[in-house]
Amino acid sequence: MTDRIYDVLIIGGGPGGYTAALYAARAGLSALVLEKLSAGGQMALTNQIDNYPGFEDGVDGFELGEKMQQQAQRFGAETEYAEVYEADLAATPKAVKTSEGEFFGRTVIIATGASPRELGLAEEQSLVGRGVAYCAACDGMFYKGKTVVVVGGGNSAAADAMLLSRVAEKVIVVHRRDTLRATKIYHQPLMNAENVEFCWNSTVEEILHDGKVTGVRVKDVKSGETKEIRCDGVFVSIGRKPATELFEGQLHLDGNGYIVADESTKTNIAGVFAVGDVRTKRLRQVVTAVSDGAVAAFMAEEYLA
Amino acid sequence: MAALNIDRIKFEQLINGDKPVLVDYWAPWCGYCRRIGPVFDRVAEQYSDVLEAVKINIDDEEALSDEQGIDIIPALILYKNGQAVASVVNPSSKAAIDSFIAENMP
Repeated sequence: MTDRIYDVLIIGGGPGGYTAALYAARAGLSALVLEKLSAGGQMALTNQIDNYPGFEDGVDGFELGEKMQQQAQRFGAETEYAEVYEADLAATPKAVKTSEGEFFGRTVIIATGASPRELGLAEEQSLVGRGVAYCAACDGMFYKGKTVVVVGGGNSAAADAMLLSRVAEKVIVVHRRDTLRATKIYHQPLMNAENVEFCWNSTVEEILHDGKVTGVRVKDVKSGETKEIRCDGVFVSIGRKPATELFEGQLHLDGNGYIVADESTKTNIAGVFAVGDVRTKRLRQVVTAVSDGAVAAFMAEEYLA
Repeated sequence: MAALNIDRIKFEQLINGDKPVLVDYWAPWCGYCRRIGPVFDRVAEQYSDVLEAVKINIDDEEALSDEQGIDIIPALILYKNGQAVASVVNPSSKAAIDSFIAENMP
């Protein structure tokens, strides 16, 4: 077991996780990142990141993730491609069971991030890849010349609708309010796009399909009337949910499931820190995630001293 | 060793060989496909004794991908004795690929 004890065990290999690994390794601590798929997290699905300083022409999120990983590894941080099944955060040392066996940490930094929130409709999951999608940048190309519905009214819904309007024949934005919640910068281009329509005050009640999506049934939240919209794809863009199921009952979570932690990244368990999108915070961005990572490594170092 | 990208000729050669073949159908513009890349390389290395893990770029091999019924990527298809025997779409972790292989490679 001794070879599997680390000063800092980091769960999740996004920008927060690898920055924590970089700072921990440079402080002379042994650090292991447990990542289930590949470096970068949600960022890896973003083709172009324009608000991370230092890249005047933008930077590809997948490449940025790999660079952060290589940078941390250059100073001795390690990566294990492992899915975490169970964590005992109160134990000494803290124990994490994974698909690659059990690992131990004197401290644990949680950087599990968030993933797209689902509509929660029957058959939604079985239709993923058959017309239901959560990432326009990833799956938009399959809808060239087709009709798609975008559900949501926030920044990511607006960005998805814009992107899809350049590929699809027609985009219909279904939103439960009568105006977009997205930042103003998105409004005008979207309103001006000739092939974008809006279905206000409406929620999706049902996804219609014949094995593949054929349309949606929407309900007017004011009148209660329902109607069907024919479409080939449904892009769900209604926010994110934090990946914190593993820690329920151990860590304090807020009403939306985020780990309660302030700028210090400290959680309610000593030696356990939460960084990036998984933590309660006002602004969830790559820059704020890397900032958290640095702070958490510093706090871990202090805790171990 | 990284999993190799192959063309139709190599594909037909491989699937009619002795070893089972695991093909990762992907495209450069597909974000989820890129995320699987590093882990798929790891899988290719780890299982090199028992299977051939290779990649097919669906944009380069459009006709072949159509014949194989690919309309969702990333898709992994396992071939044995020239036949597709199992498939999985967009596995979410290396663990998911491991269990797919374990279930279909008794």
